[in-house]
Amino acid sequence: MNRDQHTQMPADGAEHSSPNGRQEIDEARLTAYVLGELSGEEHAAEREGIERELAESEAARATEAEIRRSVELMTAALATEPAGALSAANRERIEEKIAANEVPAATLPLSRMRRFRRPLAAAMAACLALAIVSSLYLPRGNRTVSTLEGIAHFSEAATDESDNVVGEASQFKSDFHNAMKAHTPPQKAFATGKKSKSSGLDLPLRTMHGSAAELAEFPPGIPAEKNSHRVPYTINKPVYETKSRAAAYGPSVNGSVDDPYELDLAANGGRVGNRLGGRQGELSEGRDGLLDRSKARGYIAFNTEGYSRIVENPFLEVRQNPLSTFSIDVDTASYANVRRFLNQHALPPKDAVRIEELVNYFKYDYAPPADDAPFAVHAEIAGCPWAPKHRLLRVALKGREIDFNNRPASNLVFLIDVSGSMDQPNKLPLLKAALRLLIDRLSENDRIAMVVYAGSSGLVLPSTTGDRQAVIAGALEQLQAGGSTNGASGIQLAYETARQNFIRGGVNRVILCTDGDFNVGATDQGALTRLIETEAKSDVFLSVLGFGDGNYKDAAMESLADRGNGNYAYIDNLNEAHKVLVEQAGGTLVTIAKDVKLQLEFNPRRVAAYRLVGYENRMLRNEDFNDDAKDAGEIGAGHTVTAFYELVPAGDDSPAAPVDPLKYQQTVEPSEAAASDEVLILKLRYKEPDGAESKLIESVVKDAGRSFAQADADFQFAASVAGFGLLLRDSEFKGDLTFAAVLELASASRGADEEGYRAEFIGLVKQALAVGGVR
Amino acid sequence: MTENSPETPRDWLRSVVARYEGSLVRYAARITGDAERARDVVQDTFLRLCEQDRAELDGRLAQWLYTVCRRRALDVRRKEHRMQATIPERLDLASDSRNGQADVAEQQELHQAVLALLAGLPENQQEVVRLKFQSGLSYREISGVTGLSVSNVGYLLHVALKTVRQQLHVNSTSGASTPGASAGDHS
Repeated sequence: MNRDQHTQMPADGAEHSSPNGRQEIDEARLTAYVLGELSGEEHAAEREGIERELAESEAARATEAEIRRSVELMTAALATEPAGALSAANRERIEEKIAANEVPAATLPLSRMRRFRRPLAAAMAACLALAIVSSLYLPRGNRTVSTLEGIAHFSEAATDESDNVVGEASQFKSDFHNAMKAHTPPQKAFATGKKSKSSGLDLPLRTMHGSAAELAEFPPGIPAEKNSHRVPYTINKPVYETKSRAAAYGPSVNGSVDDPYELDLAANGGRVGNRLGGRQGELSEGRDGLLDRSKARGYIAFNTEGYSRIVENPFLEVRQNPLSTFSIDVDTASYANVRRFLNQHALPPKDAVRIEELVNYFKYDYAPPADDAPFAVHAEIAGCPWAPKHRLLRVALKGREIDFNNRPASNLVFLIDVSGSMDQPNKLPLLKAALRLLIDRLSENDRIAMVVYAGSSGLVLPSTTGDRQAVIAGALEQLQAGGSTNGASGIQLAYETARQNFIRGGVNRVILCTDGDFNVGATDQGALTRLIETEAKSDVFLSVLGFGDGNYKDAAMESLADRGNGNYAYIDNLNEAHKVLVEQAGGTLVTIAKDVKLQLEFNPRRVAAYRLVGYENRMLRNEDFNDDAKDAGEIGAGHTVTAFYELVPAGDDSPAAPVDPLKYQQTVEPSEAAASDEVLILKLRYKEPDGAESKLIESVVKDAGRSFAQADADFQFAASVAGFGLLLRDSEFKGDLTFAAVLELASASRGADEEGYRAEFIGLVKQALAVGGVR
Repeated sequence: MTENSPETPRDWLRSVVARYEGSLVRYAARITGDAERARDVVQDTFLRLCEQDRAELDGRLAQWLYTVCRRRALDVRRKEHRMQATIPERLDLASDSRNGQADVAEQQELHQAVLALLAGLPENQQEVVRLKFQSGLSYREISGVTGLSVSNVGYLLHVALKTVRQQLHVNSTSGASTPGASAGDHS
């Protein structure tokens, strides 16, 4: 009974009762701070107070460290207590009740139902989904356990079950996980199969896509805040499950079929072929042959992936807003993520589409810097393919190339998430394979350490020189998933290790590999990003490699990379790992300039209004440009960065929202310089990787009057990628652009495309054309 | 942790069961002192979940589950006259052989010591510690589950952590310092 009689001991009561009261309160507050309980806006003042105290007082910092240690210890100790499990009888009873639950469509919240674009079609889709799900579950009878296991695996399954049922369960589990893999080929089988337009699956699936986009929309009226506004929401997307794993993966390139993880690579091998010029049709045809359709079970799975809302940059009148300021972004994660959706035959949620990351995914042939500047800046103006009257300005940066073998010595600390959620073929096994690619190329000048984090964190590989491949590979091989995630202590340990082995003038970098699901212990997102922010001041850079799907926290990871002087890539298969860690290893690892900011001043006599395409979460205040304390993006060796502005020429109707003339001020008259044919002046600030003071580059840009067709192929291709992004976002600025038009533009400007990335893009546009239709 | 949040209620229910089963049974067993009863309590909790309007649980699912589970467990304990149930150190909950890696024997010993110290704390402190560090609930959620005020939750957590910290320190320095002058008292 004493549980009902908890001693109520409010904090202020304690203050009076104990001589140490004051100190107790402070420590309680500090504990709350460490646990991230003070991260909300409402605690801002209190939080700042504590942070001030921490900055000033050695004793406070010592206490904070004590608290952190005891939190970590407590979390780790409690993680050793076994979780419980229901009995078979319990599960049967629960499953009975679930099975007797109402028809799905009727229990969907009304507000969501209204948001289906086509109610009838939606209902049909729901019925079909129900039929599929029922056929999955109902006849399985006593195999409920394995069903549950598949839905969201729990490793403690069924101690009370007989052995063979457990065996089935784990088989089912691995099937399920494989089916969950991002680019399961059987979807292509469906895509091919539906050419006849008579496939019964076709209509409902499309409908589900449409409604997925609808559901993914935010309710109106949520204020947009830069960077900080993360609202997780649910999207649904179809995933098909096939029973036969071998069938699902098609021809194995790597040969070994015994190892489930080799199988993943085999699936990716298909993609290599694709990029190398094999036609997608041929490949999926080949898989069709292997896929035993009678065994394929349709299954609609759903997930909870987190994306930040993107509010597109509007058109701005040059007279009111002559300056536009933003930070560069070399991340490419959004492209890989969008590709995953399209390969699953679904349009991505709008907010998963960051146009700048799509554009920057591709290599462009920009001239490198002639002098020893870290990068070259180019600007060009041509016609705009989605708005015939407008002009398109391309700003292009090219980082100095560094030969990987001549790169500075590297001190790398891999921080690897080994929590239970990483226990999926496209997470930890792919991660190991990816890191092996990188490790293979390191030498005795490099140092590698490995920190894992889950319920507890630990250094599994102390900093080791790169020539001791066997030791490193051994440590990598031994990683296994288990436990829940506590990012904070792992991150501290990783940065500590990086600092201890700091190489002056070299590459010092923590590489965080995770699915981004930080959910236990001393961690909330705010505390974690603040931690990264603090650690990043130590000239140790951060790379975030995102893995997996289903519960992928895109927003969380991008924000970590942003705060941590870092870059962020999404690794969905081994090819992508190869691109990020081998082909572009220089760019990923070697930062050549940091805090790169751009500011454009437009000439009101030449330009009426402008709009920056993408970079929504990279916008800076105009004042921030000259403020060296303001953090901005990094550029790596060989990186290219591309940004597009859509310009409305002076004299044309401005699409910017009109503002009443000012009563107390007169509009500023254009200066003499405005009479020139200069369209804008481009200013760029950057810092050397270990520098504190920024350098300035300026250049004026003129318009030679080129049409879009006269622009170079890179310009045209990049613009078609941007246009694709506008369509995927269903942007209000997409004009009369269609997927078909993007396909035409991209195909015409594909160029040499040695690695096949552009061919892959063209394939994705075709996918979108097949899936989307409406947009 | 993998968290599917399917759109069809059935799949959603199944995913919730899968996701919370382990931690709820463990939590309930602490209250009932008996794994079998804990399982039944959790079963009832999930059966009640089936009758809930999902939209209403949006954003407070964990709190709802723990609240219902706690209430049921306390009911059971009361009915069974297990008011002063002695809670066994190790409950036979599941044959879970999760072996965390990099766990050296020394670390395991330390963890055992921490758990032993935790077991010596008042029950309400133990409970908030478990809800926070084992179930990952926020202060606010714990407050909702237990009926304690948010500041009280924070206070209890702080005291629990500090006590464990100090006693560990005392043990490790084998009485060389008094609890009052131990590691946590720098300020």
